[in-house]
Amino acid sequence: MSSRNTKQQGTPGPSLRTRLGQLEWKASPYLYIAPFFILFALVGLFPLFYTVWIATRQYNTLTGDSGWAVCGQVCGDSGTTASWLGNFQWVLHQDSFWIALRNSFSIFLLSSVPQIIIALWLAWMLNANLKAKTFWRMGVLLPYIIAPSAAGIIFSQMFSDKMGAVNVLLQAVGLSPIMWHASTIWSHIAIATIVNFRWIGYNTLIILAAMQAIPADVIEAAVVDGAKQWRIFRSIILPMLRPTLIFVIITSTIGGLQIFDEAQMFHNGTSGYGGPNHQYLTLSMYLWTLGFNNVTIGQPNMGRAAAVAWLLFIIIVLIAILNFFITNRMASGGMAKVSKEVAAERAAQAERDRQFAIRSGVEGRRRLAEQQTAQSSAQ
Amino acid sequence: MKAKKIMALTASMAILMGVAACGSNSNSSSTTKDGKVVIKIQSFSGGLNFDEKGANLYAEYEKAHPNVKIEETAVASSDDARSAFNTAISSGTNAYDIYSADAAWMPSITAMPDKFVDLTSYTKDNDWLSWKEADAKSADGKLVGAGIDIGPTAVCYRSDLFAKAGLPTDRDEVAKLLGGDNADWDTYFKVGEQYHEKTGLPWYDSMAAVWGVMKTQVEEVYEKKDGTIVATDDTVKKLYDQLTATTDMSSHLTNWTDDWNAAFKTDDGFATTLCPSWLGNTIKGNTGEDFKGWDVADVAPGGGANQGGSFLVVPESSPNKDEAAKLAAWLTAPEQQVKAFKATGSFPSSKTAAEDPEIVDVTDSYFNNAPIGKIFSDRANAIKVAPYRGTRYYDLDTKFTDALSRVDVTREQTADQAWKQYVEDVKSLS
Repeated sequence: MSSRNTKQQGTPGPSLRTRLGQLEWKASPYLYIAPFFILFALVGLFPLFYTVWIATRQYNTLTGDSGWAVCGQVCGDSGTTASWLGNFQWVLHQDSFWIALRNSFSIFLLSSVPQIIIALWLAWMLNANLKAKTFWRMGVLLPYIIAPSAAGIIFSQMFSDKMGAVNVLLQAVGLSPIMWHASTIWSHIAIATIVNFRWIGYNTLIILAAMQAIPADVIEAAVVDGAKQWRIFRSIILPMLRPTLIFVIITSTIGGLQIFDEAQMFHNGTSGYGGPNHQYLTLSMYLWTLGFNNVTIGQPNMGRAAAVAWLLFIIIVLIAILNFFITNRMASGGMAKVSKEVAAERAAQAERDRQFAIRSGVEGRRRLAEQQTAQSSAQ
Repeated sequence: MKAKKIMALTASMAILMGVAACGSNSNSSSTTKDGKVVIKIQSFSGGLNFDEKGANLYAEYEKAHPNVKIEETAVASSDDARSAFNTAISSGTNAYDIYSADAAWMPSITAMPDKFVDLTSYTKDNDWLSWKEADAKSADGKLVGAGIDIGPTAVCYRSDLFAKAGLPTDRDEVAKLLGGDNADWDTYFKVGEQYHEKTGLPWYDSMAAVWGVMKTQVEEVYEKKDGTIVATDDTVKKLYDQLTATTDMSSHLTNWTDDWNAAFKTDDGFATTLCPSWLGNTIKGNTGEDFKGWDVADVAPGGGANQGGSFLVVPESSPNKDEAAKLAAWLTAPEQQVKAFKATGSFPSSKTAAEDPEIVDVTDSYFNNAPIGKIFSDRANAIKVAPYRGTRYYDLDTKFTDALSRVDVTREQTADQAWKQYVEDVKSLS
């Protein structure tokens, strides 16, 4: 293209053809990525912001929008006045919301923490020199190809209170059966098991890929220095996995707090969402029940569900940020444990070294140049 | 080089246009290539079974109306169907031409009559039990739903377990034992107590299931017709106390769970369950057709009771609403209801159909040759109360059932604690 431009330099200004060519050259990368962003704007961004609008409105699925939100009797005397905060106030006044929040956190912790620890350990094992490597590596991914609802159905049968396989086994070895659906913590453990079953393999493979990207010479150097396996893991592998760990932890935070399928399937029945005392009502289930099951005319079911959705969004963002910092600290080896002063001192030292290197480079070049000029003038 | 780039450019433009065009052709499937009108029906929980072997109603209608093609889509659960239905109606998308609607949805449907076709003029040949028709009438007198079936309720019992406990096994004697024509809840629970004391086994499946019948025998159970909430008043509290006093007799299961399904054929399963006519298929499915033991007694504690039963509704937004309304009227006409009952056991909501000799004579070999046609006709005639369901019925009912489950299934609270929490729950709903 540039050769053509030079040929046309004699004509007054570039031709239309050339200008089109330039435009195409500049615009086409944006056009190639445009479909994704247009789709994202349509099905991602627009609903996101429209949800904000709905969350402030007295919005019912069947009767539609009828003005600013009204909190209602639960807010006391001020509840009858319309304000854009009405739905949020109503939600925050509901015990069910706080219980659902507790459950979501509990299930999230019970699933994400063991899941990532086990995935790390498995990846470390799979990274070793195993026979039939591919077989083992594909094996851990197998549960992931099972649809969440299918896994939910299978596990909910295993965790049935009376005829479930787990309780039958417990009774066979003389233990008392566990009321999986009646006890809050046991129901969370059961649901976390379903989640972990599906996601451990996936996370293992991602971490394994990152482990294999660690250069062998770093580890060999550590071995030469006399480091043992654990020391290598702690001080080399873990810090070098940091970007991957951040990714894995943030995705599992998002997934963990949005948990729906597994808890819904675990329910194994039709009425009383999340258990009769909300033992395993998660925030997503609460949102769904509010928005799509309680369509009571005269109540802003959509508005309230949208308010829950936004509260959930804010919570996830906060937790993700928190996780980011924790992971950063954890995976930076021993470095992060030092006090601020020492860290500042180290940074200052590094900066001094750098400046010195620059200076010596500059000085060296200057001296070299002086020598050269001296030599040339001497000649 | 240049040509390639231009092609790529046009290709990406085409993709964009394609994305933009997606929204505009949702009506294209209302007719087939050969000009037939396609009528799409949404149903739930296994479908309407109109096309079941022996009924073949769709095929019959398509034969009589060669310009019509019927497509039914069954959504898994009634909750899924309900949310899809609500979304479609509120947004005006004509996804389906006919929806099957559960009786519990009717209050919200009759509250927005403008969105549905008035079926009055289409259903001149149809007739319904008066309370069934009333459920589908809006305040301004429109008929927005055509009744399909009803769920007259009898007592199903395990004759094998009855025999072991020394109770009579003959269905007439069992009916008499439970009070015959004057059967009330006291008698039902008293026999249950005796049974439980003798065998240590559960008498009924769950409090929620018993409540499912009890609540239909009160005209204004949670809400009065003027909108006042009476869900925590004396009437309900008395029934609650009566029911929760029988904890020992329950099998502490949640209906429709795997444990509940399995308990239909075990030796320590519940001895009775209150069964609406449509539950027969569920029982058969849970035990297998070969199981011997279940029988039906022509009796219902507290008099008659109706559980469930569906309607067909036609949304105004349907492009084929005229054809759809004709089909809905035809499917729910007495002759078709008779055929449907014989094929699937869903009991007619039409008075004429219910009295048809073809229905009265039906027996079921699974239930020890019980004359189920006659039993459920009697049960349908015994229904005296047409319960009022206000718009908050569904929410309140969920809270009440949760309270019962806390006492009965998870056994984490006493009856008093569960009631207290229920009262709070009702308050927080408003």
